[in-house]
Amino acid sequence: MKRFDSVLLRIFLYGLPLIFLLAIFSYSYDSVPPASASNYIKLLDNFSGLMFMSWMLLSIYLGIRLMFSGIFREKVLTKLTFIKERDEREVMLTGKAAKATMLTTLAILIFLFVLSCFQISVYSIPSEKAIDGKTNIISLDVKLELLENLPKDDVREATQKQTIFAYTGLPISSSAVILGLIVWQVVAYNDSMRRFMK
Amino acid sequence: MTKSTMQLKIINRLHVIRAEHRITQDQLAKAIGVTRATIVAIEGGGYNPSLELAFRLARYFKTDINAIFSVEEENE
Repeated sequence: MKRFDSVLLRIFLYGLPLIFLLAIFSYSYDSVPPASASNYIKLLDNFSGLMFMSWMLLSIYLGIRLMFSGIFREKVLTKLTFIKERDEREVMLTGKAAKATMLTTLAILIFLFVLSCFQISVYSIPSEKAIDGKTNIISLDVKLELLENLPKDDVREATQKQTIFAYTGLPISSSAVILGLIVWQVVAYNDSMRRFMK
Repeated sequence: MTKSTMQLKIINRLHVIRAEHRITQDQLAKAIGVTRATIVAIEGGGYNPSLELAFRLARYFKTDINAIFSVEEENE
């Protein structure tokens, strides 16, 4: 199983440039009318689709293995995060750096959670709907939604609100948040390790 | 001041003993299986080795562990 995982990991890593090239090809193929493309080009497009599907399945498999196999995780992620434990001092420093990284990541997650719960909007309403003679309104709201909701009907149009400023949750996608946290983990760990090594 | 509030300071004579044996930090590190940075940290007092490593050092220099490491009481 270890050998099998190792082979799959190599295929995944060495296949990355090929997947990148095929993605560029597919993108340019999609902009060309299919009728004008030759049979070889169509065949290559089908091949790239097959390759991409295989690579996606491989990514899912390796992701699951990373979650559930301690040995595999240790072997792969220590290399990716540049963790070195050559002697007892480095093991101790790794622990300290991991603690510092965990705590700073937790602080960031708490901050992001707070930001994702806040809703702020500044809007103006028609003078006939003024509240106590005021037409500019600031609305503050806190929401806690565990599931991503589909956009609801815009009530602002019904009440003829004109939004001046609106902040609803985090203005970044969940993929960007996850990617940011992955990068942060690696950077924060290595930075802490460098400081402790001095 | 009670005994529990007293700090124990580990003092080591590793650099002296190493100089007496005329070996470099790198040679010592390789001989006992640690990195040179760890030897530098121990000699500089920035890192206190585990008991196992302390015994390995003592065994390497064919001496007693107390000849390398000693403890001093330090009042806060």
